[in-house]
Formats: sequence, C-alpha cells, structure tokens
Amino acid sequence: MSGYDRALSVFSPDGHVFQVEYAMEAVKRGENIRHPYHADGTCAVGVKGKNIVVLGCEKRSALKLQDTRITPSKIANVDEHVCLAFAGLNADARILIDKARLEAQSHRLTVEDPVTIEYITKYIAGVQQRYTQSGGVRPFGISTLVVGFDKNDSTPRLYQTEPSGIYSAWKANAIGRSSKTVREFLERNHQDDMDREQTIQLTIKSLLEVVQTGAKNIEVAIMTPGNRVEMLPDDQIEAYVKSIETEKQEEAAKKKTSRTGAATAAILTRPGGGETAE
Amino acid sequence: MDKLVAQYSRPSHQNDFYTEEEQTDMTGSLPPLSLKFALPPVANPSAFLRAMTDDHSNPSCPIKLAHGTTTLAFRFQGGIIVCTDSRATAGNWIASQTVKKVIPVSRLSRGEDKPSNDPTPGLLGTMAGGAADCQYWLRYLSQQCTLHEIRHKRRITVAAASKILANLTYAYKGYGLSMGTMLAGVTPQEGPALYYIDSDGTRLPGNLFCVGSGQTFAYGVLDANYRYDLSEKEALDLGRRAILAAMHRDAYSGGFINCYHVTEAGWVHHGFDDMNPIFWKTKLESGEFSNVTSEL
Amino acid sequence: MLQREVLLGITGKDFVIVAASKAIMRGPTIIKAQDDKTRQLNRHTMMAFSGEAGDTVQFAEFIQANVQLYSMRNDSELSPSAVANFVRGELASSLRSRSPYTVNLLLGGMDPHTQQPHLYWIDYLASLARVPYAAHGYYCLSLLDKHHNPEIDLAQGMKLLEMCTDELKRRLPIDYKGVLVKIITKDGVKEADFDNDKIVRSA
Repeated sequence: MSGYDRALSVFSPDGHVFQVEYAMEAVKRGENIRHPYHADGTCAVGVKGKNIVVLGCEKRSALKLQDTRITPSKIANVDEHVCLAFAGLNADARILIDKARLEAQSHRLTVEDPVTIEYITKYIAGVQQRYTQSGGVRPFGISTLVVGFDKNDSTPRLYQTEPSGIYSAWKANAIGRSSKTVREFLERNHQDDMDREQTIQLTIKSLLEVVQTGAKNIEVAIMTPGNRVEMLPDDQIEAYVKSIETEKQEEAAKKKTSRTGAATAAILTRPGGGETAE
Repeated sequence: MDKLVAQYSRPSHQNDFYTEEEQTDMTGSLPPLSLKFALPPVANPSAFLRAMTDDHSNPSCPIKLAHGTTTLAFRFQGGIIVCTDSRATAGNWIASQTVKKVIPVSRLSRGEDKPSNDPTPGLLGTMAGGAADCQYWLRYLSQQCTLHEIRHKRRITVAAASKILANLTYAYKGYGLSMGTMLAGVTPQEGPALYYIDSDGTRLPGNLFCVGSGQTFAYGVLDANYRYDLSEKEALDLGRRAILAAMHRDAYSGGFINCYHVTEAGWVHHGFDDMNPIFWKTKLESGEFSNVTSEL
Repeated sequence: MLQREVLLGITGKDFVIVAASKAIMRGPTIIKAQDDKTRQLNRHTMMAFSGEAGDTVQFAEFIQANVQLYSMRNDSELSPSAVANFVRGELASSLRSRSPYTVNLLLGGMDPHTQQPHLYWIDYLASLARVPYAAHGYYCLSLLDKHHNPEIDLAQGMKLLEMCTDELKRRLPIDYKGVLVKIITKDGVKEADFDNDKIVRSA
C-alpha cells in the first residue's frame, strides 16, 4: 500500500483517501468476533410510510453472561423528534450521537425551533466529514440512518450519513452488514404511502432477510408526527416475525404445489404480487 | 513516506472531542460575537456611553441619539398590520420627518421599499429607540436570515429570526444599546407571527404591540377597537388611526404615516402619507379631535 | 422597587402547584397580559421565574436545554433535587461573574422514584431551600404559614392558592393580570383551569 493508507490527510496518487474507504469497510464488515476495534456487523433498516417512519435494527447477538437489558441499543434518540440508528463501530457512534444531541439542544436554545431532520443530518455528516480532512484523527467508522418529523410537518424524513461525510435522502434504506441484500429487498417491495402496519411489516420482513435468529434479535423504533419515539415491544415484534414466517412457509408450500402444477416459479418470485421473496 | 505521514499526523489528544470551536463551526447561523466594536478608552465604557447620551437625566449631554417614535403592529385574521410614524428627534430637535421605520428583513426585499401591489416575500422589522442601533442590527439580522434561507432551503421562521435578534441584544445588554423592535411575518410553519424584542433582551410573542414614546396614545385607540376578525380595510384604517392619535399627542412622533400589510405571500406597502391632510380629514369628516378648533 | 411579579408554590401529599403572574410590564405599560413565566424542564419538573427582563427567559431556557440534554444523553431524568442543586450551582457561579443573572425561581417537581412532591425556593443570590410552600412576592407567606399542612389534597391546595390570589387582589396596588397555574403530579406537568376573573372586595 506504499504508505498512502497510513495518514488520513494524504491522497494516494490515484486519488483515494484510503482511511475513509477503510472506515466504510468497517461499516459493512460483519463477522461477530468481539474485538475492541471490530465492527460488530449488524444491519439497520429505515422505511418511510405515509405518516410514519420506522427504524429496524439487528441487535448484536449477546454472549451468555451479557445483560442485554441494559446493554446500549443501536437506536438512539437525538432529540424528542429525531431518532438515529447506526451500523459500524459502537464506540464511535457514541461520540457522534453525543455531538448531535448537544447540537439539537443548542439549536433549540438559539433559534427556539427544534432542529429539522435535514439540518441535524447535515450536522452529523459535517462532523464526519471533518474527521476525513484533518491530521491525527481517524474517521468515524459508522453509517447512520436519521429519521423523524420536522416541527408542524407530517412528512416523514429518512436520511443516511456515511463515514466520508456524504448524506442522502431515502424512501427506504439499509446500512451495515448485508445492507446490499436488504436494500435490494426493499427496492422490490417498497411502495409509497404504506400505512403503519405495512411499514412495520416491511421493516421487519426486510431485516429477516439477513437476521437468522428472529424476533429476539430485532429492535424496532417507530416515529409518528408530533410524538416521541415508540419502541415496539418484544412480544409485538415476535408476533410480526411469526406471521411473516408462516406467510413464508405458505408461500413455499404454494410454490411447491404450483411447481408440480406446471406453473413457473418465476412468476411467483416476481415482486409486486403483494407476497414476495423467499 | 513515513516522514510525510508524520508531518500530517498529530497525536490524537490534540484533537479534543469537545472543542467549542467544533460546535460553533456547524452552528454558524448564530450571532457571532466576533463583531468587534471600538470602545472608549475609559474604565467603564457602558457607563461612560450612558452619561454621554442620556438626554433624559442630562439635557445637555453631548451626544443626542435619534429617539422618539410610535410604531405598532398587530395580528388579525388576514395577517399582520405594521404601522409607524416617520419622525426622528435628537433631544428637542426634529432631525427628520421622513424616516422609514419599517425595515424589510429578507434577502429578496432588502433595499427595496417602493409601493407595490405585489407582495414582497420576507419579514418586516420596526424601528424604535436608537435609529442607528435598529438599522444596523436589523441589517445584520437580514444577513443572518438570508444565510439561514440558503442553508436550510426555506425561509426562516419568525420565531427563529426574533430569537437571533434577542440573543444578540441580550449579549450586548448593559452596553447601551437602545432598541424596541417588532418582527412580523407569516410562515407556513407558524402562521402569522409577531414578536417584540428590545434591548433588555426581552422577546415576547403576542397579538398586538405598540412601541415608542407614543405607545400609550396608540394603545388607547388600538385596544378599544381591536378584534382578531377585522377585515383588511378595517385593520389598515385602525392601524393608521392609532398612529395618527400618537402623532397628534406625542411631540416626538409625527411626519408621515407608514403602513404595511404582511401575509404569507409577503408584505405589501400601503402608503407613506403626510399626517396633516389625514388629520384634518379625520377631524372634519368624522368630527373627531374636537379639542382642536378649525376656526380662527 | 416594588416587586411587580408574583410566584407561588404549594405542595400537598401527591402534587405541587406552581402559579406565576401573567403580566409583563415595562414602564407604565403592560406589554403582555398572557405571559407564561414557566418552563418545563423534564417530565416531572418545572420552573417558574421572575426578575430582570431578558435574564429570566435566557436563564430558564439555558437550564431547560441542559436538563433536556441530560435526559437525552443518559436516557433517564434528573430528580427535582438534582435539578435544584444544578440550578443553584449555575446561579452561584453567575453571581460571581461580570454579569450575574438577576432571577428568582420556584422549582417544583415529583421525584420519579419516591413519588414525593418537591418544591424549592431559589433567589438570585443563589440561596436554595426546600420548602412545603413558597412565594416570591408579598402577603402570601403568612397566609400559607397559617393554613398549609403537608397532607392536603389537590382540591385543598387549589383552595389555598385561591386564598393567596384573593389576598393579592385585595392588597397589591397593581394588576398582575391573574396567575397561570401549573400542577405537577406523578403523571407529569399540566396547566390547570383557574378563575382569575373573580372580583374580590376589600374589607
């Protein structure tokens, strides 16, 4: 690597800033090996519905003696109307979230209005960007999904930030381990103007694409206009997971019968039929 | 290579995570108190300034600030009415009879003050107290609002704009600023919004305010006939009449009646009219001001 | 100078009532008659303030932002006593600065763990005292000394408040435009209906 990857603020001759690219790798990377500087490889999903936006998170799988009840979640409140999920290095996220929280309160104090979702996203991305352009620092090894509703506004907002400092707006998106699979699933299944049930269902369904262990490893946060974040209780998540699983089984069974009944499998796996994907 | 790396790497502790600079970097929309003003080279500049300018306690003070005003603004179902007089006084001396005491606070309308039927987008600010203070800080506010507009891709709310100004006056509290300002605007987020901000650092939302030496006279007329469901014409007439009352009774108010109507589309100017013909018209046609005789 | 603002606080067995006068005066004018001189700090704590123009709101909102930041960062709420001591500390350091905050405060809250009502009296010299009832203003303390006891219920508390405002109407030479009343219970802070239009005759 001829050393160009060692200092953050040095370009490689072909125009890369390797440390930033490594940070993006830390977001994606995903074995569940515990190491202080190892991304613990989970996935986070955000989905917008009509008057709702939902965050879903894969919980890091706990070791036997770990107290999951009080281990910090990967979904955090930035302010009462802003919620954030991240993928990547936990410890880095803590710092970034803290800065965002401080800014959210500082914004309230200086201009009275609470931050808009775009503003706080831009702020978070701005902090991340600064850590790609100064000496002696390491970029934040996290991507974030920022969701919520602006004051007196019922338009759901969903933004993503990346270690490079890029931010972008989405209808639905996934970050972290296997995010590509999940994003493709979302691309096939997302519709505009989904109601509450549909939005939660799609969130959990998309997470189940990559989360093997089911309900106990999923967290879901729901934002609606003018309300604080609502964490979906475990038993409800379980109910969703169960119904999705039975649906899938029925699907599979149907597929089997229809295959024998000379129909083509291709039709069934095609998106848009309402029940999709294996 | 390693040398190059060393050159651009610093020990991490030099980058404290909580530097104030980092926070303010991103919150550039705040009033930076880096605006430095020269202070007189005496022990207590603010007391010195007060002694030099306070013509109330010392009528022969060397600097006479332009003072004395009546301004009013009120909310009603059709938006907000803003009315002012146009006199500036320095002590007992009338310094000007044609002051524009309504200042547009917005990127698009700054500098333009022509009568027009098309609404001009933006907020309005009024001027009472020190003319220079008001003009300077409302221009500064206008700059901040424009920056906000560019950064956030939408017009600033009146709440936010008024808070910027109030934080500013609060930061300079005790330094001798003298201003009583109202900010009026209609935004999609908050509807018609009216705020009172003064040099004590007070900031109040409200339906109706009168500010200046003639405020008591204006309140007298305005309070009696104010209703939220006034029609646009009634509201404009009431605003004008209240200013006329103050111009008539308050020696430090007079000149021309300046009138604006603010709606969500922006503000519309409704005339800058000499008070004298209006006064006589009011007296002769509606029989008001009966203490003034029209006979020789 | 005559104090022209009224703050009252009354605790009972499971509530705190905080009342603040609604008028804002500048010189000869009441420039606002429906002001809210209170800020909610977190779910179970609120603060009422009076004093120097500008200082009051700036200080209250500064405290509010910090308490809310604490709630956000730690996902738990500061108890009323913790908030009160934080506020006192901030006032005390401001008192020794170039420009001290001239603000008098009443801080009321329900402790989320013990469910005990708390009321703190804080003045601009950064004195802090936990009290069963409090006032910044005239007349009411003696009245409360006589009629208050810590076991009263909310209805009795409101009755007591009414006795206080009646006395203020009788004796205070200014019109403070009635009081805004907030009640803190274990369910949080809410605004209470209060009849400010009652006419009180002097003896």
